[in-house]
Amino acid sequence: MKLSFPMRIVRFGVQDFFRNFWLSAATVSVLTLTVISINALVLMNVLGKIAVTVVESKIDASVHFRQDVDESRVKTVRVALLSLPEVKEVEYVPPEEALQRFRNANGEGSELVESLEEIEGNPFGATLVIRAHDTSGYAAVMHTLNQPLFAGLIEEKDFSDYDAMVSRLNAITGKLEVFLLAVTCAFGAIALMIVMNAVRVSVYTHREEISIMRLVGASNWFIRGPFYVEAFIWTLLSVGMTVLILFPSLAFAQPFLQRFFGSGSVDLVSFYAVNLLPLVGLQAAGVAFMTLVTTKLATARYLRV
Amino acid sequence: MIRLKNVSKTYPGNIVGLQNVNLHIRPGEFVSVVGQSGTGKTTLVKLLISEERPTSGQIVIGGWDISSVRSSEVPLLRRQIGVVFQDFKLLPKKTVYENVAFALEVAGVRSSRIRAIVPQALKIVGLTDKADRFPRQVSGGEQQRVVIARSLVHRPKIIVADEPTGNLDSINTWEIIDLLRRINGFGTTVMLVTHNREVVNSLQRRVITIDRGLVVSDVEEGKYVL
Ligand SMILES: Nc1ncnc2c1ncn2[C@@H]1O[C@H](COP(=O)(O)OP(=O)(O)O)[C@@H](O)[C@H]1O
Ligand SMILES: [Mg+2]
Repeated sequence: MKLSFPMRIVRFGVQDFFRNFWLSAATVSVLTLTVISINALVLMNVLGKIAVTVVESKIDASVHFRQDVDESRVKTVRVALLSLPEVKEVEYVPPEEALQRFRNANGEGSELVESLEEIEGNPFGATLVIRAHDTSGYAAVMHTLNQPLFAGLIEEKDFSDYDAMVSRLNAITGKLEVFLLAVTCAFGAIALMIVMNAVRVSVYTHREEISIMRLVGASNWFIRGPFYVEAFIWTLLSVGMTVLILFPSLAFAQPFLQRFFGSGSVDLVSFYAVNLLPLVGLQAAGVAFMTLVTTKLATARYLRV
Repeated sequence: MIRLKNVSKTYPGNIVGLQNVNLHIRPGEFVSVVGQSGTGKTTLVKLLISEERPTSGQIVIGGWDISSVRSSEVPLLRRQIGVVFQDFKLLPKKTVYENVAFALEVAGVRSSRIRAIVPQALKIVGLTDKADRFPRQVSGGEQQRVVIARSLVHRPKIIVADEPTGNLDSINTWEIIDLLRRINGFGTTVMLVTHNREVVNSLQRRVITIDRGLVVSDVEEGKYVL
């Protein structure tokens, strides 16, 4: 067994890890919880954005014209609306199709549709379906349609309060993020204390060895090194555990999320697969920084090297 | 080799460790330090290996002023001075061989060098055939010889032994003293702190007597006088 100097430090660190196995396990668990809550924060962010885009893409406004308004007038309105910078698209729905859509929406044979059959002809006029670039754009649409030139042509306007809906959604995700941030901070603080304490216990279990090391002239970094190695093992294990826990949970949650947001809109598994390296790398770097700094403080305090 | 100039050590609470000590120990000397309990002998040893810093005065070892040595340099000092204490300070879960090798491992010595040096050290102390035993499987005298072997691996110019025979019976005591004499024969400076009158008298070497922190006598070929 030929060992170079750093290898020896690594070996000592690994031995330390196993010698205080349960303490190591507890440390890794708390660190894992911290990393998982960081990931929950990231996911929340992603999901919140997805939710907003999903809602925004579903928003539209319908303008039903009176039956006696002919197609060319409606198309004039369409052109006027399209000239607004806020408007993305305006779909012209002829009366026949409006009727068909009504039927489809309410179900063939339903009471509403049957009562419609009793009326002679098509009670619907033409309809314009308007999509703005974002929810704030509908105010301009409303303003244009309220001009006296157009107002008289319109039977009914169907504007839901989408703006309020989106801001409510944002408020909810915002609150969840604050909550998750608090949880992350709490886990982080607990993890700091646990790491600090784990180093202290480790120093305590090795007090004989350490005093002998000092006596025989061990380099300071040889005395400290194994503690850093141990901290590094904690970091690797906790990030690894997180990945191991995260992927199955995401795969499990995926169908539910897709049912909720509409299929194709959410693919967290592939989001993670694609961003695995930067995400895991960044988190590992963060946790490593935290544990190593804590170890430095703890060894300075308990080791007096 | 070792020079102390007006060295004093006062512990917190105004407890006197050493007072105004002047000493000069030449290379290759075998010096016994005697004195009653609590007079400052161990304090002297701790000052030499920089486990304590002098309150005032100057300590120079091999031309190196260690009076206010930086903590990062202490390991280098410790490799030049082998220390043997009364309580054996061996690692119970390591074998005799591993205990000796440990001192080299933690100093960053290459494994191939370690494999060369440790058997030599064990041979000097006569424990070659017990290399694979654990400390509890050898006698007190043998344990102390392991400690001496460990203190030798860095080839120190000085060996300081603080009451190395304090816990040993007379046969083991003489074995240890013989060993130290042999090591001194290689040219290593030896400082032996002891209570043992017969040992001191039979050595017929320099004897430094300390009383209440003061050097009260320093005699070549001295006797135990207290
Ligand atoms: N770390 C310390 N703190 C305070 N007093 C100490 C300390 N070490 C030793 N002393 C005191 O210094 C004096 C000399 O102690 P020591 O050098 O151990 O004596 P010896 O080795 O000759 O028995 C004693 O009075 C002892 O109580
Ligand atoms: Mg003493």
